[in-house]
Amino acid sequence: MVKQYLKKRPYLPYIAPAMIIMISLTIFPTVFLYLISMTNYQLGWDWGRVRFVGLENYFRLFTGGDPDFWNAVYISLKFMVITTAAEMVFGFFIGKLLSDMEFSLKPAVFAILIVPIVMTPSIAGNIWKLMFNAEYGIINYLLNQLGISGVAWLDADMSFCSVIIADVWQWTPFVALISYAGLCSLPADQYEAARIDGGNAVQLFRYITLPSLRGLILLTMIFRTADSLKIYDMPFVLTQGGPGNSTEFLSLHIYRLANAQNGLIGRAAANAIVLVAISTVVSRGIMHYQRKEA
Amino acid sequence: MSRNQKKMAARVAKGGLLFLSCLFFIAPYLWMVLISLKPRVDIFEPGKWLFIPTLENYRAIIKDAGIGDYFLNSVIIAAVSTLFSLIVGSFAAYGFARFNWKSRENTAFMVLSQRMLPAMAVVIPYFLMAMAAGLLDTRVILIICYLLFNIPFTILMMRGFFEDIPIEIEEAGKIDGCGGLQVLKELILPLSLPGLTATAIFCLINSWNEFVFANFLTSIHAKTVPTSVMLFLSVSGTKWGEMAATGVLSSLPVILFGIIVQKYMIRGLTFGAVKG
Repeated sequence: MVKQYLKKRPYLPYIAPAMIIMISLTIFPTVFLYLISMTNYQLGWDWGRVRFVGLENYFRLFTGGDPDFWNAVYISLKFMVITTAAEMVFGFFIGKLLSDMEFSLKPAVFAILIVPIVMTPSIAGNIWKLMFNAEYGIINYLLNQLGISGVAWLDADMSFCSVIIADVWQWTPFVALISYAGLCSLPADQYEAARIDGGNAVQLFRYITLPSLRGLILLTMIFRTADSLKIYDMPFVLTQGGPGNSTEFLSLHIYRLANAQNGLIGRAAANAIVLVAISTVVSRGIMHYQRKEA
Repeated sequence: MSRNQKKMAARVAKGGLLFLSCLFFIAPYLWMVLISLKPRVDIFEPGKWLFIPTLENYRAIIKDAGIGDYFLNSVIIAAVSTLFSLIVGSFAAYGFARFNWKSRENTAFMVLSQRMLPAMAVVIPYFLMAMAAGLLDTRVILIICYLLFNIPFTILMMRGFFEDIPIEIEEAGKIDGCGGLQVLKELILPLSLPGLTATAIFCLINSWNEFVFANFLTSIHAKTVPTSVMLFLSVSGTKWGEMAATGVLSSLPVILFGIIVQKYMIRGLTFGAVKG
């Protein structure tokens, strides 16, 4: 019987091991996470003290019992929108510059673009922390030479901006490389025809480049939004979520609730569920839009 | 201005903008290298460009801070997790590339959606399960965790590479009397070697850089290089020189790897979705 079952599904022996591992690594922990999010479990408790509290953890989140939660949601979404937009525009611009020009140093440019992408984010975060330092950071030193003095990059009103700069530094090259590949793959004859018909550069861009690269642009957006919602290493090192809660993104909020000092595992789990929900909705939304024809 | 002059001016402007962008992307790295070579007192004077370079920071991290252990953990964890993912994932990828079934694309989509899952969400159950199993602060738990992103990545990357190999080659092999496994070993494996290498390198880079799991699940014995950033915070302030030296050492292999797989960079960064 097994033999017959497999004969109908010859792919199963190939994919089964990987699927079993993936399901046990994701579905099972996610179900477990739901269960924990409905308990009052705290780190260090023995299981006898754990009580089932239903949706209490969620009520606490949504009714303002955890004031930092709404702030975390707000700045996570704000961060997602700003960094994705900035990286898409800046990255596309660099990809366009690269595809417009032919020069012998191009491989060097690609090598430079790869450096931020592959660099360990936590270590890159530390370098930015040093560069942003108000007293002996290189950025303020250079600004000083230009006559601008004393920008407190890591203070409450600037720290959010600083994390954005660091993220844009790290991930713009990603968009640039993809845009470059996309732009190079566009056929030249369409442009010729449009130019003969009297189209100007803006029109060419609006009516040929953008529609042809629509799928690629949306795909890049899916990756960038998902990654920026998850962001953890960079702000963890750069600002530790502070000062106050000015850069406490959802991931950092979960970490603060769950880490050894607080140990509020149940509440952190409810937060984590919200994070999963947000990132699912956002990436599904863009995917839906991507699959729809223009 | 004549047409040619206009063209020339546009070229210079574009070149200038590109140069400035490149400067922005490489500057933090260069600054890190510079800081790692600066004597301690000069680090606090950013304007001092002329200094006597020293390897003191490198000596300090290797001899005093024991950074070697971090590197050893990172190498073992990344290598084992990559090797395992490559074996399990390639088989699955072959299944996806060579067979067709009704829910194939939905299953492939499920594999892709792993990429969107925030690590911070699953780390809590992992933590509790690892605690129950006595696996906290071991290399084993990190190896398992890194399968979470390495296996889906391998499946989707290798699927593309396998699909690039014409099926006729396999059919010819079968006519010549090769069995299923023999076809895989004698024909497919050598042909997909470049793809396997590229996939392995991406898995190594991702495992090398991973921070959430490493930070949450290890404390002393299994700490990896990315978590070493906490090492240099001391009462007297951050030890910037030593931090930068660690950064240089840890980023050398990944940058080298990145440049080796440059050709496949776009494919790798988009989980095989774009064959750039």
